[in-house]
Amino acid sequence: MSSVHFPVYILLILLTTAVTIPLISNRFKNSLKEYIMAAFVVSWVLSFTTLNHVMKNGSYTYSFGNWSQKIGIQFLVDEFSSFMTLIILTVAFLVIIYSLKDMEHEIKDYQFSSYYTLIFLLLFSMIGLTVTNDMFNMYVFMEILSITSCGIISIKHKKDNFLASMRYLILSAIGSLSVLLGIALLYMVTGQLNMFEVSSVISQTWQSYPTNILVSLGFMVSGLAIKAAVFPLHIWLPDAHSSAPTPSSALLSGLVVKVYIFTVAKILFRIIGVEIVAALGIPTYLTYFAALGMIMGSVFAIGQKDIKRMLAYSSVAQIGYIFMGLGLATVQGFSAALFHIVSHALLKTALFLSAGSIIYQKDKRDLRDLNGIGYEMPITMMVFTIAAFGMIGIPGINGFMSKIYLSLAVIDVKKYVYLVIILVSSFLNAMYYLPIIIAAFLKESKDRKNIMVMDKLPRSMIYPMVIVALGCILMGFFPQLIMNVIDKAVPSFLLLGK
Amino acid sequence: MELIISIIEHINYIAAAALFVIGLYTVLTHSNLLKKVIGINIMETSIFLFFVSIGYVSGGSSPIITLGEKQIFINPVPSALILTGIVVAVSITAYSLSLIIRLHETYGTIDMDEIMALRGEKS
Repeated sequence: MSSVHFPVYILLILLTTAVTIPLISNRFKNSLKEYIMAAFVVSWVLSFTTLNHVMKNGSYTYSFGNWSQKIGIQFLVDEFSSFMTLIILTVAFLVIIYSLKDMEHEIKDYQFSSYYTLIFLLLFSMIGLTVTNDMFNMYVFMEILSITSCGIISIKHKKDNFLASMRYLILSAIGSLSVLLGIALLYMVTGQLNMFEVSSVISQTWQSYPTNILVSLGFMVSGLAIKAAVFPLHIWLPDAHSSAPTPSSALLSGLVVKVYIFTVAKILFRIIGVEIVAALGIPTYLTYFAALGMIMGSVFAIGQKDIKRMLAYSSVAQIGYIFMGLGLATVQGFSAALFHIVSHALLKTALFLSAGSIIYQKDKRDLRDLNGIGYEMPITMMVFTIAAFGMIGIPGINGFMSKIYLSLAVIDVKKYVYLVIILVSSFLNAMYYLPIIIAAFLKESKDRKNIMVMDKLPRSMIYPMVIVALGCILMGFFPQLIMNVIDKAVPSFLLLGK
Repeated sequence: MELIISIIEHINYIAAAALFVIGLYTVLTHSNLLKKVIGINIMETSIFLFFVSIGYVSGGSSPIITLGEKQIFINPVPSALILTGIVVAVSITAYSLSLIIRLHETYGTIDMDEIMALRGEKS
């Protein structure tokens, strides 16, 4: 069996699972869970094999129905897309195991199967968006992604959820329409939709149409910046990520936002090409917004009282780091951004899952009620502490390594101001994460004495959290595990336009 | 005179840009949620118009090839793409309308300002 078709099989498995889940009645919850897990394991194995194949034999393109790439839809399976597919599936797998118990608590019984339909459609569109090499196909996947991510917010029937998802839907509709207009403007110049064809046309003729390319890039990048919550356009994020059910917030904050960043990177570096983008001066503007976001996201997070809202604002700051790496437009900057995408996906998942466990067991969301909770839920708070230390940048956890890589990349282009901003942002991170840890482990609770008891959580909720936290530590001590793949992925990603 | 001729020649592009701006203005300024959804629809229509205009070749006919004749055809790809775009637009409209129904059930109004006022009193 040739493994060339595996990426398509992954998408097909996710899509068929999404469509067939509603056929299983909600009464057979156990068989539903087994079905979901089986589909996940199969697609994970397929994606792992694909990565192996690509690392050995190099990247390849997959044209649907053997149409020529000028007409048909094409997938590009290179180191970057197959690695990111594996990361998406791994993180989602852990979150889904956690969600099987947590969602029983958060939504009504009859909604259980429809939630997983939405989750599988979400994964389908995320992986599609990562591997696609066609601009219109990219738009279609983006719309599926925005509708399903609104769906997993509004599935919890509360007042806040409806309002948050309505706001998210309107803003992301504006965002994707701007992207479509940008695609139309590029199509006007090049007459092609395939990314390779577009980039080969643009690299020859861009000097004749600088205004067209600038306008279309402006529409596309600002549209995607709304969806990726770059600082001044982040207003939908705190509401949406804090009101959603916990597994949804972990998926939205850890993965969905990252997929839009991949799309920005594809547009800037693959379709247009590094040199042309740098000549038009777009990366410099990206770094300004990124630096603003790194500071302001943390400043907003300090003022929050709701734990999930604080984590959501912290995401805004971390997205600033990633865009800083992209905006440097160098190999080091891009690989630091990719490393931070992976490490932030793990850290934020761990933080949201542990916050969700606190809400599950104690039904407390207010940061002031967390005194002494470390003695009541030691495992949960240990996971939270590890991930929070990672966010601050304590050595030994992956957040530290990504900050090191980012700082080295900044030093490499001699923009020392950003080094100061990275430091200030780390201090601000410490300002809002450390008080929680201190309150949890060192302060006396009002209701009970600080006697150590184990968490009263189902095992299927504890294991995923612990695995994610162990992953963070493993990545902190052995960053080369991830870096080896990224080192291969980045040059092929950046040089494809040539 | 040349200006007027070039405006007339590019009237569909100008109309598309004007519609886009009208739609964006409607989405951003009106507090009524239904009007916001209509604004999104106007924006979508403007982009469809823009896309279809790109594919138009003056004097071209629909691309059905008959043997032995040399004809000018319009570019069929944008029209095919817009078919997909219309489907996406319909699904977004349907979902947002269903959300508006839910919001009306919970808050008793579909005006964003009134909803924000209601939330402000409670918290």
